[in-house]
Amino acid sequence: MFVILTYDVDVKRVNKIRKLLKKYLTWTQNSVFEGEISQGKLNQCLSEVENIIDKSYDSIYIYNVKSSKFISKDILGENKNFDELFL
Amino acid sequence: MNRDYYIFSNGRLKRKDNTIYFIDSGNNKRALPVEQVDKIHFFGEVDFNSNLLSYLPRFGVMLNVYNYYGYYSGTYYPRKKNVSGFLVVNQAVYYNDYNKRIALARSFVESSIYHILRNLRRHKEVTEEIIDKIEKEKANITKANKIAELMGVEGRVRKWYYRGFNCILREEFILKGRNRRPPRDPVNALISFGNSLMYTAVLGEMYKTQLDPTISFLHEPSTKRFSLSLDIAEIFKPLIIDAVIFKLINNRVIKEEDFDIEEEICFLNEEGKKKFIEEYETKMATTIKHRKLKRKTSYKMFIRLECYKLIKHFIGDEVYKPLKAWW
Repeated sequence: MFVILTYDVDVKRVNKIRKLLKKYLTWTQNSVFEGEISQGKLNQCLSEVENIIDKSYDSIYIYNVKSSKFISKDILGENKNFDELFL
Repeated sequence: MNRDYYIFSNGRLKRKDNTIYFIDSGNNKRALPVEQVDKIHFFGEVDFNSNLLSYLPRFGVMLNVYNYYGYYSGTYYPRKKNVSGFLVVNQAVYYNDYNKRIALARSFVESSIYHILRNLRRHKEVTEEIIDKIEKEKANITKANKIAELMGVEGRVRKWYYRGFNCILREEFILKGRNRRPPRDPVNALISFGNSLMYTAVLGEMYKTQLDPTISFLHEPSTKRFSLSLDIAEIFKPLIIDAVIFKLINNRVIKEEDFDIEEEICFLNEEGKKKFIEEYETKMATTIKHRKLKRKTSYKMFIRLECYKLIKHFIGDEVYKPLKAWW
């Protein structure tokens, strides 16, 4: 499934969260990650996230789409980061 | 599903922030999500150090290296996690018993020819004569009592099959017989490059199972290659690679300028390789509803399933029936 994950966490934890999420998804903008991921991997990722965040203050939103076919992405301005087959 | 990355630019691959970063020669950084990587293919000049090499095995990431011409040169793969001495012993028993060995070799050839015919039948109007010839040759599979005879049958079928390429492909692309090391014309270059990719794909999938890639049945288990990958690749070459080649040429995706031809040696250039890989990756990710599993299964997964079927055969659970595409 295709996931868009956004986070709003305290400055102290921003870097920790970003580094952790980079293992699983592609960083597209500040505080935004997206990518194709399996349910199991996502659960694994979220349980790691839970260890870092303070649930009374931070918030993480996860939008998921069953198939990336049903989502389109338009970009205004610069494309900051993109997931590509070729490097 | 874990995916493959293809690195064409020069640069450095390093471990940072507990994931992998690729830094190209223009100092642009890209983070690859390490949990989602299956294989990384190097076509450019890339530096990396032991720090990275000791990190990757934890995630089972394989590194495949190709030379300047796009030929497979080698693989760095993690310590094998799925090992079974029991299976290796049984696999060797099937090799040692000539009757058992030839039965397996026969099923590889049978499946390969089935897929070859399947490709040709899609263009029935122009290939009728060749289909007839191959059908006749196919009868020899059951008669063959030696591996060499079986290889002969397969060789002759391929010869006819490649003749059929000229009827299927657009007229600018002509195949005057198969040649390799080095390929001499564009179609041969495509076949060679595709086979390189197929070999690494099969090896990658087999690596996730307990099979020993060195004990093969159709090909001689030589000491220098993982020949069981070659056996299984026989089944998938017509199904995946040839289908990709037909599509690329007939839909005018690949053109003559995507090849470098020097002194009768022909290779795909970078643009050509990228076009090929893009189509190949889409093909590998295409899913078909599996009859038995009753769920959507990608072509890539079919390769692994083939390995599982072999395992079942070796441990005496279920007799191996090679894949015959039913869709």
